[in-house]
Formats: sequence, C-alpha cells, structure tokens
Amino acid sequence: MNEFWTYLAAALAVGIPAIATAWAQSKIGSAGSATMAEKPELSATVIILVAIPETMVILGFVVAIMILLGTGG
Amino acid sequence: MIVPMARVRILGPRELLPATLPVLQDFGRLHVVEPRTGPELRPLQQSASTRKHEDQLRRARTEVSRALEALGISHGAGDRAASRELSRETVAAWLRTAREVARRAEALNERRSALAEEQALLRRYRPLLPTFEAMSESVTEWHDVAAYFVLVPEAERRSLARLRDSLRETVGDAFEIWSRRIPSGEQGVLIVVSEETAEELDRLIHAAGLQEIELPGGAEGLSPMESIRRIGRRLEELPDELGALDAELADLRSSHASLLRTAEAALADELARMDVTTHAGETRHAFVLEGWVPEDQVVPLRDELTTRVGETTVVEELEREEWVGEDAPVVLHNPRLFRPFERLVTILPLPRYGTVDPTPFLAIFFPMFFGIVLGDMGYGLLLGAAALLLRRGSDEESTRRAVAEIAGACAAFTIIFGALYGELLGDLGARRLGLEAVWLHREEALLPFLGLALAIGVVHTILGLVLNVISKLREGGREAIGPGVTLAMVTLVVLALLAAVDVIPRTFFTPAVVTVLVLFPVLVVLEGILGPTELLSTLGHILSYARVMAVGTASVMMAVAANRMVGAFGSVVVGALFALLFHLVNFALGVFSPTVHALRLHFVEFFGTFYSPGGHRYEPFGHWSPPDPQRKEKR
Repeated sequence: MNEFWTYLAAALAVGIPAIATAWAQSKIGSAGSATMAEKPELSATVIILVAIPETMVILGFVVAIMILLGTGG
Repeated sequence: MIVPMARVRILGPRELLPATLPVLQDFGRLHVVEPRTGPELRPLQQSASTRKHEDQLRRARTEVSRALEALGISHGAGDRAASRELSRETVAAWLRTAREVARRAEALNERRSALAEEQALLRRYRPLLPTFEAMSESVTEWHDVAAYFVLVPEAERRSLARLRDSLRETVGDAFEIWSRRIPSGEQGVLIVVSEETAEELDRLIHAAGLQEIELPGGAEGLSPMESIRRIGRRLEELPDELGALDAELADLRSSHASLLRTAEAALADELARMDVTTHAGETRHAFVLEGWVPEDQVVPLRDELTTRVGETTVVEELEREEWVGEDAPVVLHNPRLFRPFERLVTILPLPRYGTVDPTPFLAIFFPMFFGIVLGDMGYGLLLGAAALLLRRGSDEESTRRAVAEIAGACAAFTIIFGALYGELLGDLGARRLGLEAVWLHREEALLPFLGLALAIGVVHTILGLVLNVISKLREGGREAIGPGVTLAMVTLVVLALLAAVDVIPRTFFTPAVVTVLVLFPVLVVLEGILGPTELLSTLGHILSYARVMAVGTASVMMAVAANRMVGAFGSVVVGALFALLFHLVNFALGVFSPTVHALRLHFVEFFGTFYSPGGHRYEPFGHWSPPDPQRKEKR
C-alpha cells in the first residue's frame, strides 16, 4: 500500500506540472506562431519563450525522482 | 569583446566635402552620426538643385530595380569604377534605359505567362483529343445542333444509361450519343441534340451528376470539331512561341545586365553619399562630419584623408569625457574560435557599449551544456558528421558556416561527455563493447547527476554575478556595491547549504548564515525592496539548472529503450529496424532539446544576472553591396 502512495505521489509530482507546462506552452506557442508569421527574425526568441515553462515539469521530474529514490525527506 | 570605439570629427573647407565623401565611402569604417550643432555650426543646407538630383537618383534606382526584377537578374556589385561622378545626363540616360527595358521585359513576361497558362490548359485536353476527334467525325452536319462532351467514370456507367432513358423520354429520338473509352479509363461521351433542347440536356447532365468538358473556343461559336482542331494546332504552335519569347528575354538580359547592375551599385552609392550629407554640419567656411570608428582606425582614417583629399581636411578625436558610452555603436570582435557564437548573442538585442560581451562565455558553456545533456559518443559522432557536411561548401561568413561550427563544438563536447558517461548509443557500448563509465553512470547515478547540474548552476550564476560587478565597476565604483553584496549573499547562501548537507565542514554553516543576516539590511538599503526579490530569483535560477539532469536522463533512457527493442519483437531484424528508427528520433530530439535548454539557461538565467541590452548596431558608411541572406552583415 505504501508503495502505491509513493508511485502515485511521483506520478502526480510530474503529471500536474506537465499539464501546467502544456497549458502555458499552448498559450505561448499560439502567440509565438503569430509573432513568427509577422516577424520571422524572432523565431529563435520564440523557441526560447516556448521553453520557459518547461522549468515546471523539469522541477516536477526532479521531485518525482527524489520521491522514488526515497530521498525526499 | 566589444571593440573600443573613438568618436571623431572631420573638418574641412566646404568645397572639399564632395571630394571627402568618396574617400570615406572607400574607407568604409565610419559610422556617421549627427554632429552637435551650436551657434556657429548648423545642419548642412541642401540646395533645390541637390534635392532635385536626389529625386532623380531615387526614381532611377526604382526603375533599375524594376528592370532587374523583370529580367530576373540577381543583384551584383557592378562595375565599381563607373560609380564615380554621376552626372545628371548619365542618371537620366540610365533612367530612360531602365524604364524602357522594364516596360519591354514586363510585357514579354506577361505574354509568356499567358501562353504558359494557355499551354497548361490545353494540355489537360490532350488525352481526350483523339477520342473526341474520332467521335466528332461521326457528326456530319453541325447546323442547329448543340454538342456536349461528357466524362463518365467507369464506375458510373449506369448514369449514362439513365441519361439516355431520360433524354428519350424528353426529346424522343432527336439526339445522338457516342461513347468511347479514353486512356484514363473513363468513358468519353459526345451527345448531340437540337439547339431547342439544349437547355433540357444541360439540366439532365447536371441531374445525372456527370462532368461536362467545355472545349476552348466553344464560347466563340466554334463547333466541337473546330475546337478540337484548334487545340491541336495551338499545342503545336505554343512551344515555338514560348521559345521565341524566351530568346527575346535572354537577348534583353544579356544586352542590359551589366549596365543595370553597374547603375544599381552606382546609384545606391551616390544616394548613400547624399544621405551622409544630411548628417553633416556646416559653418560659414567649413563642413563638419562626426562619427564613430574603431579606435585603431583613427590613424588610418587620418592618413587616408590627408593622402587623397589634402591636409586641409583634418580628423579630430573627441575626448572620452565629451561623449556618452551609450551612444557608441557596438562591434563584437572575438577570437576565431568564438566568432560563430556571436550569432547566438545577436539573437538578443546587442549589449550596451562599455558592458561585457558574453560571447566567450557562451562559446565555452553552450557546447559544454549541450555535451553534458546529450553525452553519447554515437550521437556525438553523428552530429560531428552532420556538422562536417554542413560546413562543406559554405561561405566563410555565412550563417551555414557558423551553424556548422557551433554544431562541431557541440559534437566534440558530446563525445567527451559520452566517454565520461561510458555511453555509445545509450547502453549499447556497455553491453556489446564493454564500455564503462569513466566518471558518472547516468542511468543509475541520478542524484549525483542532479548534484552536478546544480553545481554547474551555482558556478554559472556566480560567474554571471561577478561579470555584473565588473560591468558596474566600469561604469563607476559606487554602482558595483549593490551587485557586490548580492554576489556575496548568493555565495554565502550556497556555502551554508553545502555545509548543511555536509559537503563542506559544518563549521561554515553558522558564520555563513550570520553574515547573510547582516548583509540583508545592507542589500535593502542599497538596492531597495527589489534587492531581496532579485536575490531569491537568482537562487531560483540555480534550481532551474536541474533541467540539465532532467533532459539528459530523458535522453539516455530513450536510447536504452531503443536498444531494448532489438529483443522485444521476436525478430532481430524487425527489432533492429525499430531500434534504429527510435535512435534517429532520439538523436533529432537530442539535438533540438539541449540546444533550446542550453540557450534558455544562457539567455534567461545567465544573462539575467549581468547582460545590459540596448547597444546600437554599427553601420559604417561604405559601398553598397548586393543583399544576400546567406552572408553576415558587415560590422
């Protein structure tokens, strides 16, 4: 049972930020596409902007790993 | 580094300005700006005739561009020798020629498009012609009848039978239908009815859902037979007509290309010289030009003007106190090895003059981060090969060359870290060749890898804060105190955390925490309430470096999963094919993802600590050069 909660916690730790990241990237991505259509020279900046919300899921991933390895506290 | 610039003032007798401008244009290093005017110095007044000449030049340039475009001639530098002393007569002659050439070329192009369109349309009828021609011959008399050509797909032959029945019901036997199979497999059908019943047939064809073929010429009252003959005739004539037009265009091109290119370059140069005069100032007897040149170009500029214009035109270097650093244009100049990375820096607005050029740091850390994330000898070799292919045949200053060289550096670091991790296409090297991790086995050592990522974050962030202090020191000592306190506090917080987890002796913990508490009010006094906020955000940025570990782990796990496929499908061949495909996908992701994340770590986390954007682009007054998207802008 304890194992069940560990896996569930790890899944939630990475899953919820993943949804949040996806939502943020969808907003930035659509705005970025419009920007690129008007100013193609900003393509590189737009790619960077799209990558910014990934911090959430990456930190979630780190937390999930720590939960699974039992080093979370 | 950012090239040190000098602000210079060029003074000379007013009548020598026209002779000075071509010399400056040939020199090509002066970034002209407005001189500071005063009671004695006013902006140079342009006479009505000069303005008229400028209008004429602009019109001529527009016409020349139009003619070049109509002839499909690429831009070229032209004959530079002819770009001096453009008389009004020369410009007028170019204007006339360009206008005439543009008119003729546009008319030829228009005619050519119309013929090509006609040819494309008629070609669509070609497969139908023999069938329809044969059927049309059956109709001996074409008076007072309407003829329809219809295509019936093989699967819908019944609709033709239905149409025949409907026609019989409506018009009795006053119609004829011939049908034949055409090469596309459909049935070509010719229906002839009397003109009075044509409307009814129209309705029936549409009701049956059949596709009617309208022959060109039908609207002009030609019979189907005549239309078919005309299509055949036109298809034979069109290649010759198109060939004649192409020959005429080629003639026009070969006889005018050189002149038009020369005119384009000369007119652009003359307009650039006129544009510079709008930035010039004048006193009663002298002209004044001001601008920026790289510091080491002041003496060559002076020598050039003395030699070619005379000693009466002088170059005066303004003292550093007389100008503000923010006004100076920015030229980045780095060792050959670092130069491709300037492209990455210029994705952002240029750094302000007098601040730090981040190119050398980007050139070291960007490929290093890439290598830490991808870290696989197989992928590194693949990337290296792609970089070599991309580099082959590229121009020295082109974007392609820069991308190839950046990819080459990334490939080198990927191979180095691949060796340190003992990875060759994931765990394939370990399983087949017995490769062992020299330093870190990423597949298992997740926490040490996370520690490495955060340690890189600490080093990178503290380096950024140090650069910020250096940058502020250049602006004036007092400006550097606030950033200095932030740097000290970040370092102390990191030391306290390291002491807390026993990485360094615990004795450091208390002194570090006490010093942070003492420095806190100092930071608030110096930087305001934003100071502590910035401090917290900087510490948060360090955590963001965890992505190095996260993306890296994802990459190695994908590679391991690809290798597992070989045994997972029963057949080794199918498994190997899937594994290869998966490796290719992982390689594509493995190139894209570390690039984006390494760039983001630099642009957001690293540059955020010290980078001051807002530099002006260096745009020296020089000769016109043909626009080429592949080439780097001359700086």
